[in-house]
Amino acid sequence: MSDKTAAMAPRSEASLPAGWSARGIPFVQIALLALAAAALVILPFAVTGYVLYIANLLLVFVVLCLGLHLVIGETGQFALAHAAFYGIGIYTSGLAGNAFGWPFPLSMLLAGLIAGAVGVVIGAVALRMRDIYLALATFAFGEAMQWVFLNWDRVTGGPNGLRISPARLGAFEILSDKQAYPVVVVMALLMLVLTIIISRSRLGRAFRAVRESEVAAMAMGVPVRRAKIVAFGLSAFYAGVAGSMFATFSTYIHPDSLGFQTTILVLTMVVVGGLGSIAGAVGGAIAFGLISEVLRQTPSYQEIIYGLILIVFMMYAPRGVFAFIRDRMGRAARG
Amino acid sequence: MADHLLQVHDLTVKFGGLTAVNRFDISVERGTIHALIGPNGAGKSTTFNCISRFYQPTTGTILLDGTDVTTMPASAMARLGVARTFQNLELFGELTVFENVMIGAHVHAGRTWRDALSARPPEVAEHAEHLLERTGLTAYRHTRARNLDFGHQKLLELARALAIRPRLLLLDEPAAGLRNREIAALDALLTDLCRREGITILLVEHVMQLVMAISDRITVLNFGTKIAEGTPEDVRNDPAVIEAYLGQEMAHA
Repeated sequence: MSDKTAAMAPRSEASLPAGWSARGIPFVQIALLALAAAALVILPFAVTGYVLYIANLLLVFVVLCLGLHLVIGETGQFALAHAAFYGIGIYTSGLAGNAFGWPFPLSMLLAGLIAGAVGVVIGAVALRMRDIYLALATFAFGEAMQWVFLNWDRVTGGPNGLRISPARLGAFEILSDKQAYPVVVVMALLMLVLTIIISRSRLGRAFRAVRESEVAAMAMGVPVRRAKIVAFGLSAFYAGVAGSMFATFSTYIHPDSLGFQTTILVLTMVVVGGLGSIAGAVGGAIAFGLISEVLRQTPSYQEIIYGLILIVFMMYAPRGVFAFIRDRMGRAARG
Repeated sequence: MADHLLQVHDLTVKFGGLTAVNRFDISVERGTIHALIGPNGAGKSTTFNCISRFYQPTTGTILLDGTDVTTMPASAMARLGVARTFQNLELFGELTVFENVMIGAHVHAGRTWRDALSARPPEVAEHAEHLLERTGLTAYRHTRARNLDFGHQKLLELARALAIRPRLLLLDEPAAGLRNREIAALDALLTDLCRREGITILLVEHVMQLVMAISDRITVLNFGTKIAEGTPEDVRNDPAVIEAYLGQEMAHA
């Protein structure tokens, strides 16, 4: 055991996500969590309906990002069909409400399960490929689904879009963003907790093993192909649930918003937040969601500015904004 | 009759027109250390990868404790108690040392739902800590694997393989690139694993210092064919081996 490595060890410990280690209580994290919880509770009493609409939308993006985090961040599989599963979730829960008047918790579950099932089937085929081929195959599936949304008039309303009747549970109907907000918050928190549980579990370790080395994962008895399909199916499930969350506070959906742009937006959020960390996925969704709302005023520059932000992050903070800040703080603390 | 944990019969591996391994037989006795040696390109690693199920042999059978595993997928071997390491290190680089070993225990970490959902299933985590201690890696528990120096990375691969709780441990050049002092420590560790815990070890190795010191039996391959087999003493004195393999090294030594 050389002195060099002994000196190196504490430094690499500092670069690990704090709060995940068994050493000490992560006071900073607890304080931040309490602050976030307080903000979530106070928000509906403090702001207008439009701001609540944005808040709802951001929370939908949080769930989309958590889903993409599982397949890209944890498992390392570049799947680019997230908007398609999101769309499947929106149409499923919208139609379950419109046609059958199902209570929304049921249509949410259905949306997640159908998106997840389609994800498993697509994953079983697409995950025979890897890297750029996987990205292209899933991209093609996403484009095909958008075509289906646009042309299956009788079900999706085609290019006219689909009116979504208000989500209901018994006699209770969700008629405003304010009424939808508690439902959306609870769902986002449930999905966040689920993500943390998965990430810490044996399944999460198997995902990361696949990301780091497929041959080593195999040698450890991880069924690599199955793990990839499970990750892909889970990520589609998340996107489906996110779609059903959107359907609780939206009255209308058009296929235009379910194309590659949306997939790229979610991908950007996850990358800018920091690949491989749950906090990065959540933070990226919120930060980038806000930026994209601000940029809505200048739609023609929106794409250019996204592109610039992505390039700058790839150059200066490839591991995401949170890792960047943590490294900086760590360096400052060491002097 | 000897008690063989691993029996390979009539193994042939062809890559296109090239025959990498030709009608090769090897039987590894339970509770022994067996080395597979030979000059570069002799087919050692190919044989090794067939046994660990990463390559599919063209013909031949592989029996583990009498069970035919010739068509088993590689990911099924851990559950059967077969662990392996890699010649060119295949660690989970971005993950911590501890998590690497925990993934090694994958097949043992899902016995109950509680275990499967836990970041540290009690019994499994305890065994992982024990393995870190045994390989001298406890101080690096929270270090990312890629930040370890080469010697420690080799030890981590061994610790991770041991987390499978193997009956048969397959080591692909465990001593390659290690310093003399590290090789001596490896020598002691492997001998201990075999003698005290009864783990059967099959290793492919170039470092003769290690092979001659710890092996109960040595098989020598050249051009895909077995040219000698026996105790280190037998092999050392075998004219065919000296000719094919040791000869060159002895001449330089």
